[in-house]
Amino acid sequence: MSLLQFTGSRREQIALLVIALVTLFLVAGLIKLQVFDHARLARQSENNRIRVVPIIPKRGNMYDREGRRIVDSRPSYTVAIVPAEQVKDVTLPNLAELLGMDTVKIKERIRKTMVSRYQPAPIKRDVPFEVVAVLEEQATRFPGVTYQIEQVRRYPVGLGTETFTGYVGEVSNKDLEKKGAQDLRLGSMIGKKGLELQYDAILRGREGTAYIEVTASGQILGPYRDKKETPAVPGADLTLSIDLDLQKACVKELETFCCGAIVAADPRTGEILAMTSYPSYDANIFSSVIPESLWQAISSDSTHPLLNRPLKGLYPPGSTVKFVAVGAALEEGLITPHTTLKPCLGAFKFGNRLFHCWDLGGHGSLNAAHSLEQSCDIFLYQLGLKMGVDLLSKYYDLCGFGHKTGIDLPGEASGLNPDSKYYDKRYGKNGWTQALSMNNAIGQGEELATPLQLVQFFCALANRGTAYRLHLIRKIQSPDGTEIDVAPSVALKLPFSEKTMDVLFEGLRLVVEGEHGTAKGLRNNLYSIGGKTGTAQNPHGENHSLFVGVAPLEDPEIVVCAVLENAGHGSEVAAPVVGHVIRTYMYKKLGLDTLAMVTPEGND
Amino acid sequence: MLAFRELDWKLITATLLLSVIGILLIMSAQYYAVSDFSKTFYQRQIIWLVISLIVFMVVIHLPLRLFDVTAYLLYGITLVLLVGVLFFGAKHTGAARWFSFGPVNLAPSDIAKLTLVFVLARFFAYTKLPVTSKRRLGISLLLTAIPMALILKQPDLGTSLVFPVVLMSLWFWSGLPILHLVLILSPFVSLVAASHPITWAVYIVVLIVTLFLIRPGLSFSIVTVLANLAFGIVTPFIWNKLADYQKLRILTFLDPGHDPRGAGYQIIQSKIAIGSGGIWGKGFLNGSQTRLDFLPERHTDFVFSVLGEEFGLWGALIVIFLLAFILYRAVRIASRCRSRFASYVAFGAASILLLQILVNIGMTLGFMPVTGLALPFVSYGGTSLVLSWTLVALLVNADYHWQEY
Repeated sequence: MSLLQFTGSRREQIALLVIALVTLFLVAGLIKLQVFDHARLARQSENNRIRVVPIIPKRGNMYDREGRRIVDSRPSYTVAIVPAEQVKDVTLPNLAELLGMDTVKIKERIRKTMVSRYQPAPIKRDVPFEVVAVLEEQATRFPGVTYQIEQVRRYPVGLGTETFTGYVGEVSNKDLEKKGAQDLRLGSMIGKKGLELQYDAILRGREGTAYIEVTASGQILGPYRDKKETPAVPGADLTLSIDLDLQKACVKELETFCCGAIVAADPRTGEILAMTSYPSYDANIFSSVIPESLWQAISSDSTHPLLNRPLKGLYPPGSTVKFVAVGAALEEGLITPHTTLKPCLGAFKFGNRLFHCWDLGGHGSLNAAHSLEQSCDIFLYQLGLKMGVDLLSKYYDLCGFGHKTGIDLPGEASGLNPDSKYYDKRYGKNGWTQALSMNNAIGQGEELATPLQLVQFFCALANRGTAYRLHLIRKIQSPDGTEIDVAPSVALKLPFSEKTMDVLFEGLRLVVEGEHGTAKGLRNNLYSIGGKTGTAQNPHGENHSLFVGVAPLEDPEIVVCAVLENAGHGSEVAAPVVGHVIRTYMYKKLGLDTLAMVTPEGND
Repeated sequence: MLAFRELDWKLITATLLLSVIGILLIMSAQYYAVSDFSKTFYQRQIIWLVISLIVFMVVIHLPLRLFDVTAYLLYGITLVLLVGVLFFGAKHTGAARWFSFGPVNLAPSDIAKLTLVFVLARFFAYTKLPVTSKRRLGISLLLTAIPMALILKQPDLGTSLVFPVVLMSLWFWSGLPILHLVLILSPFVSLVAASHPITWAVYIVVLIVTLFLIRPGLSFSIVTVLANLAFGIVTPFIWNKLADYQKLRILTFLDPGHDPRGAGYQIIQSKIAIGSGGIWGKGFLNGSQTRLDFLPERHTDFVFSVLGEEFGLWGALIVIFLLAFILYRAVRIASRCRSRFASYVAFGAASILLLQILVNIGMTLGFMPVTGLALPFVSYGGTSLVLSWTLVALLVNADYHWQEY
């Protein structure tokens, strides 16, 4: 049985024909290039070079909620070298003299930013126009040197906006590995921190590429004819939820302290209205090469200006989180709204240790809401003992502590919510007792929270249960005109019933409105405020002063949290600070002039 | 023992010549390289050639029946390797393609090319199903699609291209009417034509008229038209739904030359290199340092550019004709063999070589996408060289035993 009956000589002929055609096709291509295009290609090969020049898109701006510009870019000149075109002992010395850099430094820059020998490697950004003029006039002295117009980011100084905007910087090798080199190259500017990093892909746009034919002597002949340029696509603008007026007010408040953070949010949507970390830094310095000395000064500063306190600062929350233990006890049926536990005599004996209340004079008998009003530690110690470490920890967890809020910023800290597993690991199986829950109930001990977690928790209290995900972006406006609005999403629902919430909310109100409220100094006749003070003992010296305020109580629209490091009592220091920020917000809303303020009543 | 005088020495000589030319070009491509490691590429290729010759000697002594009998077993083992490499393979720029054994990388996708040829050859050699039967087409399609899908998953688009081409070639060689082949390919024409509605409409009308005139069978016609309509209507719909960056990603996936700073630039430079070589070339070792130092793949994928620049048109023509001669011999052997299995294996080998030659040289000349397919026998790379020599060994073997059934 021969195969021929299937394949036949006809099939063979067709196959051979296909091979002949493919061969002819390739030979024709060769002849076209090597015979007909030879002269042109040979000239290009010998004399001309093709520069691949990136067309850098405009990075998107950031605006505040009222459309005021926060971050934009300005055009600047960047001097670059095309490594293949430099002439030994001419280019580098002349350029070094012009730029005031030494040749070693320039070589190092080339090594760091070179993509290929035919693409310009940026040497120095943001050079003055005079330098460019010299390059233009005396081009022959600088073979291989070229300049590009690039955008330099412009950040406001002294507004604390770098806390959320972050900054851009030159891409590092680590960035390139992480993101894949898809649309990044050495020398590109990308977001390094904050929103610049979080929304980098949106803000950056897409680089275009131009192919430029250049003679061996550096004379530009124009676009290369065989390859069309790809245009750049500009980045999208972001409208933030920030209110610059409020932001300014927060910075002003913080300036009188050493270190601290203030965050304001709208509980109805989760939008951040202001976010500041103090002390801070000038975000503009990262856009160009940072002088070593400046970097040293910033990074070794004992006040840690680079620490983003709202996002990563870990503080014992102190009494601000007493709502958790009180709510948990009510929810678990351990107390009723009317239960008064052992009266507060200023101290509480457990085992052979004495646990003090902050008010050594004692509070007497209190119910749940009043324990919050006066921030009685003795009442909370007893709740802690009733619940034990794990039950309390479970409620902290359900209230959002110990994990990230999920705000649209990179690098958020999770805080610490210790449970028995944690203690077993830290102190050994029998190295600790349930009495630790006494400290945990008053937000001390190992409990650590970020200011953002406190804001989220109080947003939930203000909304009687629901917290919306904290976020900074309201709108994304693409260059083609399309707009995307960011809709609020639920981040957290408190594990408390309506009845429990009534008690907690009453506590929130009494702190300011109550006769014995720890922050009654904030009372005024224009709007109602609620809140909670906190005075957090910490190993770094004087107590941290905390206050989280909510206003107006009838229909809350702002939550403000202030954490002032080593500043003293919550009621004396942080409460008035929050009061001022809320006043700025409410006065603006009511159309009142902040300067012509009516002195609020009370003993502020 | 084999009677050595009766081996196909012309075929062996052509292959050997190409391998030696390859080594010279690899040496030239990296002659001015900065790193000492790059300079040793040609020495490593010499070692690989020695290994290839040993493999060649072994394969020509094996009875082809061995591959016939074990075809399905080998196919199964290949599938296991292809799945394994997805989980345990060495990761390289996001793609898992190799098992790493010290200095040696084993790419299961290269082995898969070979075992696919065996398994399809076995299937077509023994099946009693009629040539145009749906089961026959379906089973062979399935045998091809499974390894291909696994390779696409790696992802390695270039290598996976080989699989449908082998299938088409063997369909053709097993006697499937040309018309059926054309109709099977027609939905892909729709895919491309769909971007232009009027062209597509005209095309569909022509297709239906053709089917009506030729009547290849009712169900076949209906499936063809439906497939064309589906590809033509659904594609633009999906395309428009995609975001810009997704479109760009697909375009770059299909044609890396679309990425202007990477592959697109390489093609420009490759064309300049070849074109500047002219008829006589710039001479050995005289080309690569001036123009090609931007091409990171000049010793592998773009080795033909080095050839064109240094040896000009005459050098390139010699290589193309040597390659064409191997293909010619392969087809002759395929039609001469009395064993159906051997015939299919020979034709499958020819199709693999033809595709790689067309795509690789086409790429350096600037009219094929950059896919990463190596030029058989010439490009640097151990597995590629061993695989190509194995294909030639199979051809020589089939030719020597042509009278056996």
